[in-house]
Amino acid sequence: MSENHEQHDGGGHHVNYKRIYFTLLGLLVVSVAGPFFGILIVTLVTAFGIALVKANLVIQNFMHLKWERRLMKWMLTTSLLLMALMFAGISADVLNHEGRNWENLAARAAIERGIQDPHAEGALAEGGEAEPVEVAFNVENTFNLVCGSCHGTAGDGTGAAGAALDPRPANFTDPAFWETRDRARVMNVITNGAVAVGGSPLMVGWSASFTAEQIEELTDHVLELRPE
Amino acid sequence: MAHTAVTVEHHADPHGHEHHGPQGILKYIWSTDHKMIAMQYLFTGMFMAVIGGYMAYVFRMQLAFPGISVPGFGQVSPGEYNALVTNHGSIMIFWVAMPVLIAAFGNFLIPLMIGADDMVFPRINRLSYQIFLLSALLLLASLFVQGGGFGGAWTAYPPLSAVGEYNQTNLGSSMWLGAVALEFVAFLLGGINFITTLMNSRAPGMKAYDIPLVAWMIVIASILFMLSVGPLIAGAVMLLFDQTLGTGFYDPARGGDPVLWQHLFWFFGHPEVYVVLLPAIGITIDIIATFARKKVFGYKLMLYTTVATGVLSFFVWAHHQFIAGIDPRMANVFMVTTLLISVPIAELCFVIIATLYGGSIRLTTPMLWALAFMAEFLIGGVTGIFLGASGSDIYFHDTYFVLAHFHYTFFPIAIIATFAAFTYWFPKMFGKMMNDTLGKIHFWGTVIPFNFIFIPLFVLGIGGQHRRIYNYQHFPELAGPGMYRLREIATIALLVMLAFQLVFFYNCIMSWWRGKAAGKNPWQANTLEWTTESPPPHGNWPEGLPNVYRGPYEYGHPDREEDYWPQNEPA
Amino acid sequence: MAFPKPAATLRSATGIPTGRLAVWWLLASEVVIFGGVLGSYLMFRLGHPEWADAAAHTNTWIGAFNTLVLLSSSFTAVLAHQAAEKGDGKTAAKFLVLTIGGALTFLMVKSVEWTIEIREGFTITANGFWSFYYTAAGLHALHVIAGAFIMGIVAFDAYRGRELQRVELIGIYWHFVDVVWIFLFPLLYIAK
Repeated sequence: MSENHEQHDGGGHHVNYKRIYFTLLGLLVVSVAGPFFGILIVTLVTAFGIALVKANLVIQNFMHLKWERRLMKWMLTTSLLLMALMFAGISADVLNHEGRNWENLAARAAIERGIQDPHAEGALAEGGEAEPVEVAFNVENTFNLVCGSCHGTAGDGTGAAGAALDPRPANFTDPAFWETRDRARVMNVITNGAVAVGGSPLMVGWSASFTAEQIEELTDHVLELRPE
Repeated sequence: MAHTAVTVEHHADPHGHEHHGPQGILKYIWSTDHKMIAMQYLFTGMFMAVIGGYMAYVFRMQLAFPGISVPGFGQVSPGEYNALVTNHGSIMIFWVAMPVLIAAFGNFLIPLMIGADDMVFPRINRLSYQIFLLSALLLLASLFVQGGGFGGAWTAYPPLSAVGEYNQTNLGSSMWLGAVALEFVAFLLGGINFITTLMNSRAPGMKAYDIPLVAWMIVIASILFMLSVGPLIAGAVMLLFDQTLGTGFYDPARGGDPVLWQHLFWFFGHPEVYVVLLPAIGITIDIIATFARKKVFGYKLMLYTTVATGVLSFFVWAHHQFIAGIDPRMANVFMVTTLLISVPIAELCFVIIATLYGGSIRLTTPMLWALAFMAEFLIGGVTGIFLGASGSDIYFHDTYFVLAHFHYTFFPIAIIATFAAFTYWFPKMFGKMMNDTLGKIHFWGTVIPFNFIFIPLFVLGIGGQHRRIYNYQHFPELAGPGMYRLREIATIALLVMLAFQLVFFYNCIMSWWRGKAAGKNPWQANTLEWTTESPPPHGNWPEGLPNVYRGPYEYGHPDREEDYWPQNEPA
Repeated sequence: MAFPKPAATLRSATGIPTGRLAVWWLLASEVVIFGGVLGSYLMFRLGHPEWADAAAHTNTWIGAFNTLVLLSSSFTAVLAHQAAEKGDGKTAAKFLVLTIGGALTFLMVKSVEWTIEIREGFTITANGFWSFYYTAAGLHALHVIAGAFIMGIVAFDAYRGRELQRVELIGIYWHFVDVVWIFLFPLLYIAK
């Protein structure tokens, strides 16, 4: 029967479990009593030192690590060492709230807020989360950066990115272009892409990137490039 | 015919149990046979590879031809682009590389290679596949919910991944995270099985140094995985709570720290790449020994070097965070350890080359794949040096240089080594030989285009092209014709490579259906799996489990007439 | 009806029975999981002295009582192991049931404790300390529930004299759950 195979080699290794149990209880009492002395070092020793002792008692005696093959002890030690490594490596970064030329402002604010009002619901008190910087929309910068790469900053279709495209990007300075376009159509193409008017998918729509007002301004800018 | 042995095994069960194992369609749900579970992992992994490859096709088309309506997908919006690259990465690592290399080949090979009749915990084995399948389904489902799939990159840095308002994929993010967590649980369970089986269930006479290297590698990889994934599971629970309960573990305004996630993620993320590398190296060395008809140059050297690599892999993680704002002194430490780890890996390469030297080389399809693994991985490895040096990484981080580097390492691992293993063990798994000519066409049609995909990406990276941008036309300095052409070449090469995969599928199906019968040992190899039927019946050796008398690489032994010496032949 | 074990399960090249070897590997992985949670907590706690105010509101007496309960349940678990070794399945099952009783007591006390704390406004989102408190103790409680469940199955089998070797195995897991709490107790309840 399988039971014979499974009989563990530590058979017969039994300590007085009752004695260990009562020792554990005694240690528990000490660790609870420790903080009452009000001395930090006593608290730390009784709380964590005793935790280590208790854990050791349980692991060695109840889990029988004392009589287990060395391999298991190596395994557990490796896991614990890994945790120490993890703690050391990460806390070096996360625990630092300031270094050379930098400060963790959010952490400092959280600490200050917490000390003032421990029950703050993590809400954004003053000095909390930084306001995202609002960059005003500048139609010329946007046109040059976004549209100019294909259409050229002068709108003449000579942007570097447009050189390889077929069909070539529209030339807004060409009178022939304007023979068949008006403001409404230009705005439609900027918003929805050229496919909306049966053109090439290479001219994408920008409704996801700009608001309607911003597209109005861009349309006006394109119209300004129209030769008289 | 040999391939019906899969169904025959249950009827001709000589163990004399009353229970013959599940029959019919239920066999695919309730079977605890390690070979069936291996097949399930293999096919699930291959299916997910097709999905991941499809995603790559879509986003590469968008990158090369911005704004195009991609055939088979439609126009790609920015949000969709992000979801595609995120899920491509997640799928390829968690649902292709790991299940195929570790779970599929580990499950199939380990009991066979050590002369056992199954894994030590067959029911937990089945449970781990079922959890894995659930994780795959959860991930695929996350792509179709409202808001779409998670788009915050496979690294899922908060606050983007933690705050629904930022990532716009509230439900998808949590489902993605849940899928990853389930996948971790599946592999923790599977890992316990592999490790315990290898440690305890070896055939009589099989000492530790008689175990084939691929079995060792898969088990060492499982150990690495089990030890590294813990902190990330902790971190993932915290991220899940941030996403769903509104806690502030990673919110600086509430005393949290997003950098903590980065550390927890990469503490796992770096050993993870070695988790997938090790089985690939194991597969390569076993195939090379067989087709060079030569002993592995340094078995113990390889073993100890692998363990050293595994240990060292825990000390390098912050090289992913060089420009995340960590202390430069910390960066120094991690730079040194990162550059150090290239030494044992180079050692492994030298062992492989030394094994080839003086061998009687047979250039079969598996051998070609194994050789390609070495060559391509080497390129990937040396480009890692530029990234491991924190100074140059300041420029290269988040550019396509990084992307090309890890594809030059991951592609050999997840694809080349997989094809090597698949073409090598196909005769054992299915009882038929694959067509070697088609195999070679598929090989060249994959490896050559692969280089044309990623070498342009190195150049683009050096040129400053940053990652995770859906349309480079928005950046004038990156939108010039030269760079545009490189993106085009990469995409067209991808299309060619994908087309050649059809040759592989055709070969698989035709060989399975009408291939030549393989017999027990078509490659004349030494290891134990080649001493039983193809495919092996239930219980692997119904007539009695083998004993072992020597190591696995006794090729070209002077005392023998044949140039191979199976492990189970008495002296 | 019993699942036929493969020959592989009964072999032991290391000399350690397969089941026990597996449980130790499971514990190794659990050490790194809990290590991750507790390590993160420790890092934050050390870096945020203002959390001490929040921590002052945990109830040390309830925590101490729960520690007493878990220590006692470890005691009964090891007595179960002792009985199982002698082949006495019925006694082993009785002690396991006592252990499960300890688990249920622990969970009940915890539920009451959390209800009180949530009513007082100390929810999981109240403060970083409380987030960790519920997460760490919650993860632990999940392991208690899973352990109690599996222990029930083992007790069921042991009572009928079957699979007595599993009594030791579930015991080892249970002691680990106890050890985690031995560390959670000072971290969450005493360090104020």
